[in-house]
Amino acid sequence: MAGPVAVRKVGTADVAAVLLCAIGFFVPWLTQNLFAYSIVNQILIAVVAASSVFVMLRMNLLTIAVPAFMAIGGYAAAVVALTGVTNLLALVLVSFLVPALVALPLGALVLRLRGVYFVLVTYVFGEILQLMLFETPSITGGSNGLAGIPAASLFGVALTSSRDGLLIAAAVAVLAVLITAVVCQHFWQEFAAIDENEVLAQSLGLVVWRYKALGFVVAGGLAGLAGFSLVTMLLTAHPSSFASLSSVNYIAYAIVGGRTSILGPVLGSTFLVTASNFFGSKGEYSQGLFGLLIVLVITAARGGIVGTAASVLRRGGSPAPAAARSESEQHGPA
Amino acid sequence: MDGFIAAGIIGIGLGAQYALLALGFTLIFGILGVVNFAHGGFYLVGGYIAYAMVGMAGWPYPAAVLVAILTTGALGYVVELLLVERLVNDELATMMLTLGLYLMMSTTVLVIFGPESPEFIFPVSGTLRGKGFYIPLANLVVLSVCVLAIGAVYLLMYRTGFGRALRALADDRTVAMAQGIRPRLLFPVAFALATALAALTGALVTPILTLSPHAGDAVLATSFMVVILGGLGSIVGATVAAFIVGLVEAYSSVYLGGSKGALALFVLVLFILVVRPSGLFGREVRGA
Repeated sequence: MAGPVAVRKVGTADVAAVLLCAIGFFVPWLTQNLFAYSIVNQILIAVVAASSVFVMLRMNLLTIAVPAFMAIGGYAAAVVALTGVTNLLALVLVSFLVPALVALPLGALVLRLRGVYFVLVTYVFGEILQLMLFETPSITGGSNGLAGIPAASLFGVALTSSRDGLLIAAAVAVLAVLITAVVCQHFWQEFAAIDENEVLAQSLGLVVWRYKALGFVVAGGLAGLAGFSLVTMLLTAHPSSFASLSSVNYIAYAIVGGRTSILGPVLGSTFLVTASNFFGSKGEYSQGLFGLLIVLVITAARGGIVGTAASVLRRGGSPAPAAARSESEQHGPA
Repeated sequence: MDGFIAAGIIGIGLGAQYALLALGFTLIFGILGVVNFAHGGFYLVGGYIAYAMVGMAGWPYPAAVLVAILTTGALGYVVELLLVERLVNDELATMMLTLGLYLMMSTTVLVIFGPESPEFIFPVSGTLRGKGFYIPLANLVVLSVCVLAIGAVYLLMYRTGFGRALRALADDRTVAMAQGIRPRLLFPVAFALATALAALTGALVTPILTLSPHAGDAVLATSFMVVILGGLGSIVGATVAAFIVGLVEAYSSVYLGGSKGALALFVLVLFILVVRPSGLFGREVRGA
């Protein structure tokens, strides 16, 4: 059983994660630098996408379909906005619900299978969706994408400036982190049981696939929110924004940050997005850095940034033993 | 009708390449239980080593292919021994690990050779013309080498003690270990064998297709499709499915055009994953 200690510890990390995202609201008052706006905006989108990966990782599942669900959410919001409905709240709702509804039947069918098959299904789904974007030009604009999307509005005021875009991204990120924290907290024991020992959990009467499907639906919705933020930032919905391979980045943000609490993806996104901006014109090289960090985390520091920092603090400075399943320690007293 | 035969020949050629790729992928999954996201990376490394030997060091092409196979196989051996081995029972960790390795491999290639596709030309030119069809000789050479290699893998897996030991580990690791088969010795060798197959494909195929730092992505996609279709871990399934995928791809590009063929194939694969996860020729799904 996860004791109250674990719950309290997670609570602190959740609050810290929300506060970190909320800093995005204050950036426009701190600087007018458009480059800084752009980086913060990218980070806030990355946080949302990484939280989608994070929810699945909590159940020991790896999803490669984040860009696909981002595309569904982003395109859905764009299509709705193009019909004239620009209310921000409505667009956010659409971008969460549509991908969540797509995830529901897929998850219910596939999550009865083992983890490996789930990964393959998310991969194949991502490829299908990418091709569908090109094959349905009447809805998605095909290879041209959707341009000229009207800006979202709130209480009748159109949010057009890049400062407004940043505020929207910050609001979406706070919302996504809150959803993630609440879902992971509420189903803490179920998710932990699936993560620790799925067969045992099942034998004790937990209907495992239902919780997995629920997590998948939430993860789909979260990715959709990220897609909405991305479309808002770029002012266009285009297939190239949702390339299947970009899923690797979101996986890197979540893993490198740490899969023990939502603070991990937030810190991982902040760190890695900032780092990849330093590569400048050699942006592709950042993939190598991400790869190296993933390998390091998997082989030497399983808790990622957050988990490693936590275990270093707890042991009074002595580093965590290599390859220890530090996430299981994070689950609190057994 | 001519087009039909020509597309069929192209499809069989593609199928042989895919079979060679998918055999390596399915061996690693079947024997170690690891989904190797770095498979495309080993293909890439094989292609670039062969290119470097021919284009930069001036070696003859067959020797370059051999160097590519041996170097990449050795790399695979070391990767398994040092990294994958410690996590071999953790499905999720090995997936993420190999994903990270793939990113490192493609970036290394990018840093060393640059983003442009280098000019890497197959040493054999000319075409074979027959009644109603013509095939580039290069494709014919590749096809025969692929068929020979596939045959060699079958002989190795089904006619030698080594192959029997590997298949025993794939069937039931605990029982195999109780019989004295040592996974710690055999896993790195199996991994090296699989990566060498990927390198062989890379060295053979990239001069015909293209060599670029992102060539591994498509290879991974194809391996996934073939292996799902044939059943994860199944050697026969992967071989048969590879030819199906190759033929479907060739015919759909001739008769449907665009990406409709690929879309149809992916939808078929998704359907199979959902209704029959063990694949068309699947054996029992490994483990639980």
